[in-house]
Amino acid sequence: MSSPTAWTLEQGTAQIALIVGEEHVRVRGESVVCGPADIAQIAQILRFANASGLAVTASGSGTKLGWGNPVAANIRLSMERMNTLREHAWQDMTCTVEAGSTWAAMQAELARHGQMVALDPLWPERATVGGIVAVNDSGALRLRYGGLRDLIIGMTVVLADGTIAKTGGKVVKNVAGYDLHKLMTGSFGTLGVIAEVHFRLHPLERHSRTWTAVAPHPSLFDAPLRALLDSQITPSSVQLRVSQRQSALDVRIAGLPHCMDGVAARLESILNPLELSESTESPWQARQELVDREGAIVLKVSSISSEICTVLSELRQWADDDGMNYEAVAQATGLMMIAIRSAPRAAAALVERLRARLRVCDGSVVALQIPEALREKLDVWGNAADTLTLMREIKRRFDHNRILNPGRFVGNI
Amino acid sequence: MCRVLTSIQLDELRAAVGADGLITAQNQLQTYECDGLTNFRVMPSAVVLPRTTEAVQAVVRVCARHKIPFVSRGAGTGLSGGALPAEGCVVISLARMDRILEVDFANRLVVVEPGVINAHVTQRVTPRGYFYAPDPSSQSVCTIGGNVAENAGGAHCLKYGFTVTHVLALEVVLPSGELVQFGSRALDTPGYDLAGVFVGSEGTLGVTTKITLRIVKRPEVVQTLLAAFASPHAAGQTVSDIIAAGMLPSALEIMDALAIQAAEAAVHAHYPVCGGLLLVELDGSASEVEALMRQVRELCGSNGASEIRVAQSEQERALVWKGRKAAFASMGRISPNYIVQDGVIPRTALPRVLTEIESMATGSGLRVANVFHAGDGNLHPLVLYDRSIPGQEEAALDLSYRILRLCVDSGGSITGEHGVGKEKQEALGYMFTEPDLATMQLVRCAFDPENISNPDKVFPRPRLCGDRPGPYVPHPLESAGIAEIF
Repeated sequence: MSSPTAWTLEQGTAQIALIVGEEHVRVRGESVVCGPADIAQIAQILRFANASGLAVTASGSGTKLGWGNPVAANIRLSMERMNTLREHAWQDMTCTVEAGSTWAAMQAELARHGQMVALDPLWPERATVGGIVAVNDSGALRLRYGGLRDLIIGMTVVLADGTIAKTGGKVVKNVAGYDLHKLMTGSFGTLGVIAEVHFRLHPLERHSRTWTAVAPHPSLFDAPLRALLDSQITPSSVQLRVSQRQSALDVRIAGLPHCMDGVAARLESILNPLELSESTESPWQARQELVDREGAIVLKVSSISSEICTVLSELRQWADDDGMNYEAVAQATGLMMIAIRSAPRAAAALVERLRARLRVCDGSVVALQIPEALREKLDVWGNAADTLTLMREIKRRFDHNRILNPGRFVGNI
Repeated sequence: MCRVLTSIQLDELRAAVGADGLITAQNQLQTYECDGLTNFRVMPSAVVLPRTTEAVQAVVRVCARHKIPFVSRGAGTGLSGGALPAEGCVVISLARMDRILEVDFANRLVVVEPGVINAHVTQRVTPRGYFYAPDPSSQSVCTIGGNVAENAGGAHCLKYGFTVTHVLALEVVLPSGELVQFGSRALDTPGYDLAGVFVGSEGTLGVTTKITLRIVKRPEVVQTLLAAFASPHAAGQTVSDIIAAGMLPSALEIMDALAIQAAEAAVHAHYPVCGGLLLVELDGSASEVEALMRQVRELCGSNGASEIRVAQSEQERALVWKGRKAAFASMGRISPNYIVQDGVIPRTALPRVLTEIESMATGSGLRVANVFHAGDGNLHPLVLYDRSIPGQEEAALDLSYRILRLCVDSGGSITGEHGVGKEKQEALGYMFTEPDLATMQLVRCAFDPENISNPDKVFPRPRLCGDRPGPYVPHPLESAGIAEIF
């Protein structure tokens, strides 16, 4: 946001200190960083920001602050103080958690009753519920349990003008009113500040086993993967790990321990002629390791699942032709993370080539992590959809003064 | 006041859908004056029956240009008045857009037009071992477009999720007439989750003309168990124990003595005579289902089940479900009139809420039959009464509304699958605060600033304060035995 009139860091700091207390306000660079204690304080801060035209970014531990277009925030709302699991109705298999709770802390509490939010996001030890929901992150468990759209049953949000709004509720089945939480999920903090989230829960997977098959080229997984997804086996997770050197297919299945040997035999027959070996949990860290690569461009690529192996094979060919280093971790849902290391111009060209390829099968490419040298050469979001006008209108209605993460989202929303 | 369309407007509508796609004759319009909630009736000004997306678009453009309200409609089986015509509106019937456009087994999806009947999707993919999971009990007649509007559920959504879980993409004609795509076959289309918010918006955000749905591989084994208990409370405790044991059955249903009595009278499902009947369905691999079923039997036993049976054949299983799905329709066997409700409570509140409903019913001098999706706390209390007895209908309406408030007060919702529609507008105001509703209105206004797409639904209207849910009047399809309400 351009410099608002009459804004000085000192004035802003003083004003916000009146709301959250001096000990919870500090200046970092050109921003005031503040830590509200509760929803009412978020609302007060937003009312002040809205009246003054100050850009606000809400954040947890900041693991994904670099995702999307950059925002110069005047106020950074740190949600770290709002980190409580407020309710775990374990017999109802629901919970209510404040947005600043880390994912791992929440899961540890839920595990006491053998339950979980069935999602495996990035950086669970540091990433907070609010941030994960704001970017709609998901991992390998999505194949079996769905994404956040399927796991969130309600939310409390604070709008730009300070309105505190509840949506959904604490029961799993509920069709009363619009599901605003679906609109908030993945909106990159452009429509409101997520304060509390209600989740539906699943039983922990007490017994699971992982099998891995290795092949020299991703195309060799095409037929076996199709056969697996067409079978009556219901894996929790299926992923492909692909690099220049080799490719691997990982399958994780959860179930009753005494049924697992039978499942293994069926899996072998379905994936024939691939050779399976039982592995540890470590393959499921691959997505995390990929995004942690220093200096790489990290792309989130979405494809229909039948095209995964073809897309990965083509990517390998292009990377070989251009002498690029790359790694990919693809879920059977069609969502992939790809890390590329190359000269900026070649990388930008590869992204555009991938976008053209994915467009054919309804897919998309979002550049999540971009080295600074490449920021200006690369469009983070790619071509905007035909719904951009409607999305802008929604943004206008929710945040008339464009104070919430202005410009960060698709089409510079 | 009934609005009359001008001859120019009618000509424009005729041009959009052809002469055989426009209904204006009063006797024909009558077919469309209500949906499954038949005690609300409004005659539309016209009905159009488009065959293509372009025709829907043309109709909506005519409506937008002249600010004529429109209400889209599938099979009209909804139970909350969502497809009730607005005063002076054009009803857009999507019944003729009934083609399954594509079946893509490699990506486990189908692309359908909105008028496709729910059960036809499953029928189409069954030969390859797939099914479409959401199964509202009207599934033999209700349409996918209506399911999308209501975010329809069914008995098996406990495990498989609701309509929204299965919608990947939507083609939508916005209230302005603009055609847009929400979502895609691939996940996580960059941008707001417009498909997510559109599903369940009860026709207030536009008209869907094409829907991409997930299909699911049919499990290797499905087993259904019936257990007879002395009371619904004991059945409810068993449900809690099953969940606490870490199981996620595909269905968990409870019926009380009155509901069993009515279902037996109607379809002779051979249910045990008892105070609370529990139905548990498990699916998955043969070895897993066998092991879990053993555990379920033990839990039923430890809660005092007097009889436990597992359906031994597909026919037996079908009969068990037939009785359950006919529970609403069969109320006519034990009561001249009844009101259907759809409240949701946290599962743990079940014993307390059932006791309170019982005591409220006694206080009103009325009977309440209970049929519910126990796994997800979705109650379907049926308030039984006799309209011919003076004052009893009013008492039944009052009791029914108080039950909804009890659900909200218990931390639940006014509707789990039937929608708010016309019936529960005021109750929505009890469940949500003004700021909550105003925030929902921001979405409504972004999609439909002129308020012409299914206006006067869902949101409370001050001038209708005091609206009460209506008594249940059987839908003509139900009376004819074509559809069952659930």
